[in-house]
Amino acid sequence: MRAVLRAGLALVGFAALALPAAAAAGSLPNLGPEVTVGRLAAGGTYVVRPLSGPPVAAIELWYRAPSTGFGSTPTPGLARLAAQVVAASKPIVGASLGKTVADLGGRLAITVYGDSLSISATVPAAQARDVLKAMTTAYFAPVATDEGYRYALRDVAQEAFIASFDPETVARDALFAELFSGGPQHYPTLGPANDVSAISLADVRSFATRAFRSQNAVLVVSGAVDPSIGSAAVAGRAQSDDRAEAPANPVLAPSHAPVTKTFSEPAVGYGWVGPPIGDERAATAMDFIADYLFRPDAGYVSRQIDDAFPEALISGQFITLRDPGVMYVVYSGKQIDGLKRIVDEGIAKVQQPMSAAAFASALEGFKYHLLSDLQTASQMADNFGWYSIEGNPEYAPGANGEKGPYFKAADSLTPEFVASVAVKYLGKAPAVASLAPGKDKAVQQ
Amino acid sequence: MNLPGSGLVRGAAFGLTALLALCGAAPPQAPRYPQASLTDLGSAKLVGESDAGATISGVQVFLAAGLDREPAAGNGVAGLVAECVLRTPVTAATGERLPLRDAIQARGGSVTYTVDGRSTHYYLEGRPGNVASLVALFGRALAAPDFSPPTVRAARAALTARIDELESSPLSSAIEMFKRSYYATGVGRPALGTAASVANVSSRDMTDFFQHAYRRAGLSASAVGGLSPELGRAIKALASVLPEGPVEPVVERAKPIPANAPRVVAHRDIGAPWVVVGFAAPSPASRDFGAMLVLESMLSEAFERSSATTLGLVEKSVGAFYLYDSTPASLIVYVNGTEVDPTLALRELLVVSRSLAQRPLTAATLSRFKTTAEGQFLTDSVSLSDRSYLLGAFASWGLGADAMNAALDALEQTTPADVQRVAKQYLQRYIVTLVLPRQVSPGD
Repeated sequence: MRAVLRAGLALVGFAALALPAAAAAGSLPNLGPEVTVGRLAAGGTYVVRPLSGPPVAAIELWYRAPSTGFGSTPTPGLARLAAQVVAASKPIVGASLGKTVADLGGRLAITVYGDSLSISATVPAAQARDVLKAMTTAYFAPVATDEGYRYALRDVAQEAFIASFDPETVARDALFAELFSGGPQHYPTLGPANDVSAISLADVRSFATRAFRSQNAVLVVSGAVDPSIGSAAVAGRAQSDDRAEAPANPVLAPSHAPVTKTFSEPAVGYGWVGPPIGDERAATAMDFIADYLFRPDAGYVSRQIDDAFPEALISGQFITLRDPGVMYVVYSGKQIDGLKRIVDEGIAKVQQPMSAAAFASALEGFKYHLLSDLQTASQMADNFGWYSIEGNPEYAPGANGEKGPYFKAADSLTPEFVASVAVKYLGKAPAVASLAPGKDKAVQQ
Repeated sequence: MNLPGSGLVRGAAFGLTALLALCGAAPPQAPRYPQASLTDLGSAKLVGESDAGATISGVQVFLAAGLDREPAAGNGVAGLVAECVLRTPVTAATGERLPLRDAIQARGGSVTYTVDGRSTHYYLEGRPGNVASLVALFGRALAAPDFSPPTVRAARAALTARIDELESSPLSSAIEMFKRSYYATGVGRPALGTAASVANVSSRDMTDFFQHAYRRAGLSASAVGGLSPELGRAIKALASVLPEGPVEPVVERAKPIPANAPRVVAHRDIGAPWVVVGFAAPSPASRDFGAMLVLESMLSEAFERSSATTLGLVEKSVGAFYLYDSTPASLIVYVNGTEVDPTLALRELLVVSRSLAQRPLTAATLSRFKTTAEGQFLTDSVSLSDRSYLLGAFASWGLGADAMNAALDALEQTTPADVQRVAKQYLQRYIVTLVLPRQVSPGD
C-alpha cells in the first residue's frame, strides 16, 4: 500500500503538453490509426485511444486555465477549488460527478498545473459512456452549489495542508517562483490552506463559467472503449466565441537568488529553464537526461543515492511546456552534503558525451520507460491530454506509437547531441531553493 | 478513550443505515477480463492474459519462498535473499558482468520483488520481443545467487531502509499488529522482517533458505500484456535451473478470534490515533467471496465524508480492505483519528456489522454495492504488475486461469441472504489494534 499525495504538478512520466482546443477552428491532428480525433459539438476536441486489456476506461477533461484565476490579482488555488466544487455539486437532475464515479467503484482525480488542469475518472468500461456524459454535463455547463462549495473547501484545504509537508512540492513551488517572475507559473498551484479557505463561491463560479466550457476543452478517453465513444459527450453551452483560452505568458525572472524556506527536514531543489515543446529533439534529449539521471530505482543518480543514503528522497524531471520547459531536481535527507555531491556529479556527467555502449543501453532503457509509462488507460489519456493542452499533440509519445515523432526524436539522439543540450540548459547556474528547519528568508547571492 | 473528532462519523453512519433501506437501479452487464490461457510447462505452469497490440509484457514469477517458509528466528530472510538475487552478477548482452537488476535495465526492462505469506514473487517487465531474454537473465542469477559479504551488506541496508519506511506509517504498523495477533503461522510476521531480525540473518541462513525454498516444484508464473511464444520456453528453462525435490506443504492457519474483542496497543510518534479492526474473512475459493467483496465495499463507504475526488488511504477517515491474498484471508477496517473520533467510529462500525448480520439487504441496496464492489475490484488492478500478480495468485490457489472473471461472476451471483450469512459468520468477532500518540493511553 502506498499513501498518495495529489501533488499539484505531479506528472505523467515525462512532462507534457497540448492540443489547442482552438484546433476547433483548424485541422485536427493526426495521432495515428489507433486514435480517433474529432470536434465536440459546441467546440473543443476529443481524442479516443482504445486499448485492449482490463475492462476499464479512463475519461479525462483537460482545460487551458491559469491556476491562479483569470483576474488581475493572482489567487493560488482558485482553479483547484473551482474544479473540486463542480465535481462535488449536485445538479438539478442526478448525482454529482464525484458521487457518480464513487458509486461505480471508480476513481476521480483533479490535477492542476500552472496554466492547465485535468479532471480524470477511471471506471469500469461498461459505464464509460455514462461517466463521459456525466463529466461533460458537469464541466460544460458547470453548477456550483453551496453544499458543493462547502465540501470542496474542506477537501482542498486538507489537500493543501498535506502538500505543505511534502518536500518535493514545497521545493518545486519555490523553484518555479524563482524561475518565473510573473504569470501563473510564479505561484503554487495550491496556496496555503488558509488562503484557499478565503476564496469565495462567487469567485469560483466566475472562474468555472469561463474555464469550464466545451470550446476550451480537450476530452480524452482511453481503455476498453469503442472509438465512437466521443459522441456520448453532451454539447454544452453554445458560445458566440468558440475560441479556447490563450496560453498564459510566463515571465522569466532575469536572475534568481537562492531562497531558503522553513521546513521540517533539510531539502534542496535545483531548477533550470529548458527547451520549448516545439524544439522536439532538444525536449526529447532533456527527457532522456532526466530519465537517465533520475528515474526512480533505475537512474544513475537515483541508484547511487539509494545505495549510499537509502532513506533519502530524490526526484528529478523535465517538464515539457509550451515555452519554456523546466527541469527540476529535489533531494532531501539528513546527509544533505552527500546528496548534493551525487546530484552535482550527475549533472556534470551528462554534459560530457557518453560512450557508445553506455548511450545505447541508456536509450534502450529510456524507450522502455516511455512505453511502460503508457501501459494503463489513465497513463495513455494523461499523455494525450498533456501534449494536447501544451500545443503539440502529434509529439505525444503515444501518438503513432514507436513510429511517431516522439520516438523518431528519441532515435535521432546521439551522445554528442545529448551532451550539447545538457551544456546549453544545465550548464548554467540553476535556481536554488533550500529547505531547512528554523529559517525562512531570501538569501542574496 | 475520549479523543477529539469531527462528528462527521455519526451522520455518515446514519447515512449508511438509511441507504440499507433504500437504493437504486440495476447495474449494467459486468465487463470481463480477456480470456486467460493456462500452459503446462512440466513442473511449472504459466497463466497468461494477452492484450492485443500491447507494447509491454509483465511477467510474475512466483517461488514458494514466502514468510511461511522462513525459520522461526529468521524473519526477513526471504526479503534478504530477494535483495541478493537482484544484486547477483550475471553476464549481460555486452559481455559485462553486471548485477541482475542493472543487466535487465541495460536490456530495456525492470525487475522488482515482493514477499508475502506464500511466496516471493519477482516481477519482470519489458518489451514483448525481449522479455524472454530478461527471464533468461533472471535464471542466471537464480542458478548461482550471490550471498557474499559485500552483496549481503548492500542488501541488508536496502531492506532496512524499506522496513523503516513501512514502520513509519501508523496504518502499516496497525495492520502488522493485527496480523501478528491473528495469524498462527509465518504470514503474521512483517513481510520484510524488522530492522533487528534482518540484522541477525547470516549468509548461511540465506543459503539455507534459498536451497530449501527455491525449488523447481515451487515455481509458477503469470504474464499479461504483449505475450510472445518464447516466453513459455523461457519460463520452462528458468524452472530447470532450480533443483528438483519436493516442496514441503506448509500449514497456514489463524488463531481463533475470541469473543471478547481483544485489544492490541502500540505507541508511536504520531499526532493522532489510528484504529484497525481486523476480522476473519473467506478465501477467494469460497462461495462467500463475492459477499465479502460487497461487505468490503459497504464498510469502505460506511463513514466516508463525501469527498468528490477519490481520497488516498491517509486522507480517508475510515477505510476497509479485504486481504484475500493472505491465507487465511482477513478483512481490515481502519479509522484515521486525524479525521474522525475513533471511539465513535468504532462504535458505529460495530453497530453496522451487527445490523448487516441481523437483516438482509434490500435488492436495490445490494445491487448498488455490487456495482461499487465490481468497480473497485476492476480499478484496483490495472497495471501489468498488479494484474499479473492477481492472475498468478488466483491460479496458484487452484482457482484456474479465468479466476478473475470468476470473481466478477461470484459478485454478480451474490444474494442478500449471502451477505447476511457472511456478515453473521465473519463480522461478529474481531481484534482491535490501536496505534496511539505516545502521550495517550487507551481509556483516556
